[in-house]
Amino acid sequence: MTPVPGERASGTGCSIVGVGTTEYSRASGRTALALATEASLRALDDAGIKAAEVDGIVRCTDDVVLHNDLIETLALPNVEFWAHGGLGGTAPSAMIGYAVNAIRSGSAKVVLAYRSLNGRSGRRVGAGYGSQQAVVAGGEEGGRYDEYFLPYGLTTAGQMYALIAQRHMTEFGTTREQLGHIAMTCRRNAQSNPAAQMYGRPMTMDDYFNARMISSPLGLFDYSLETDGACAVVVTSTEQGRDSKTAPIAIAAVAQGGSAGVQAGRTLSSLMRKDLLTFPSHLVAENLYRRANLGPSDIDVAQLYDCFTITVLVQLEDYGFCVKGEGGPFAASGALDTTLPINTSGGHLSEAYMHGMNHVVEGVRQLRGESTRPVPGAEVCLVSSGAPPATSAMILTVDR
Amino acid sequence: MAQTPPRPTPCTTDPDTAGFWAAAQQEQLVVLTCRQCRSVVHLPRPRCTQCGSEEMEWTVVSGRGHLYSHTVVYHQIHPAFPVPYTVVLVSLEEYPEVRYTGYLPGAPDLVAGVAMNVFFESLDGVSLPNWRSA
Ligand SMILES: [Zn+2]
Repeated sequence: MTPVPGERASGTGCSIVGVGTTEYSRASGRTALALATEASLRALDDAGIKAAEVDGIVRCTDDVVLHNDLIETLALPNVEFWAHGGLGGTAPSAMIGYAVNAIRSGSAKVVLAYRSLNGRSGRRVGAGYGSQQAVVAGGEEGGRYDEYFLPYGLTTAGQMYALIAQRHMTEFGTTREQLGHIAMTCRRNAQSNPAAQMYGRPMTMDDYFNARMISSPLGLFDYSLETDGACAVVVTSTEQGRDSKTAPIAIAAVAQGGSAGVQAGRTLSSLMRKDLLTFPSHLVAENLYRRANLGPSDIDVAQLYDCFTITVLVQLEDYGFCVKGEGGPFAASGALDTTLPINTSGGHLSEAYMHGMNHVVEGVRQLRGESTRPVPGAEVCLVSSGAPPATSAMILTVDR
Repeated sequence: MAQTPPRPTPCTTDPDTAGFWAAAQQEQLVVLTCRQCRSVVHLPRPRCTQCGSEEMEWTVVSGRGHLYSHTVVYHQIHPAFPVPYTVVLVSLEEYPEVRYTGYLPGAPDLVAGVAMNVFFESLDGVSLPNWRSA
């Protein structure tokens, strides 16, 4: 389970030294900027680093909070590097990668990455694509192809994943019960995490099956939550991180992966790729394992992007934990609670929907031994970011 | 109860996809193909993704296909689409790797692989290719 010391690649030389989150709620009553500021200050406090030392900022392309805004609220005197990275859920690991590259190239020393959204009380995450008032769909600068989807009532990521799940069932015999095991694992993990939105709300397989259908074959509990809140992460060199308040968690490797055939556009156009049941996560996994000199059997715990249960199931295949088509039986085998514990804070399905950034935070807490659902002896954690567009992932390890 | 607003119509003036909608106006279903290497380029791109040629043309297909996947939407999101309704993905008979989308009201009995035929419906004067079981 644990790799022999010396087998790992030397890593990126950078670490996550601080993590911070706000409360997760359905109605924050605050601006996304206020949330981002609070999460950032908490992350800096966690690291024992003064805000004034932050000289780099990485923002998700979809965030309403601009780097400029955060520079003001945190009163940063000299920010020398900023970057805007990635579409929604595909961004978080890549964002950490930009921080690493900025530090390694000497562009910055202390980089803050954040995701902040009023995903329930503001523009709801589940509202889908395109304006509901628009009379004409698509054609916006080309490359999005909404005209092939929206006029047919295909307007949300959930409906797209439903089509993927249905096809996975047709080709591989995957069942709803197998998807239910993924939902149950996340829900169980949330029961030990008081910060989780689903804390105190355990779920049985009967509950899963009795929930209303949203877009067949996906029901209510195949869907992630919608959340108001923010997460922030502080990245420095590992050397600098060894002076910080808490043990640095090493970024062994970060990878992005995109290739022709994945299909351009944002999300819905992924339905037109030749192999619908393989995500770019497959390519990311290759790049990531090569860079880290690790493989799936070295992963002690995984925080897998879980906008929907089917997203996890396909990633189990793409990241090599089982062969293509076997994600269903693997999910139902109990492995997700034993040999490959996943989403130990509850993930998007049961902790909060922070567009993949709460997975980064939990990866760090898990390796520090601070998780509310600790995995004994865990030293290597996979953190994956979203699908189905070109995406990113990373491997975190304890520093030694 | 609020009236159901009209379904959004496709943009027909995007230079990369306009040919698809122009053909639909003539009740023809087309795919974009490369004049040089004959590859199909789907979704349509401004150049051939196989050989790089910019000499592309729209090729008419039969309008026959098979159901690749479908979902019945039960949760109301977009006001123009009252639930339940069904979204289908259809793979073309001539080019099985090419899929198009379709919309059916209600929750008809559908099984993957069944034969589907294209038909054209008018949305505010724009002809929209759509699919039903053969
Ligand atoms: Zn060509």
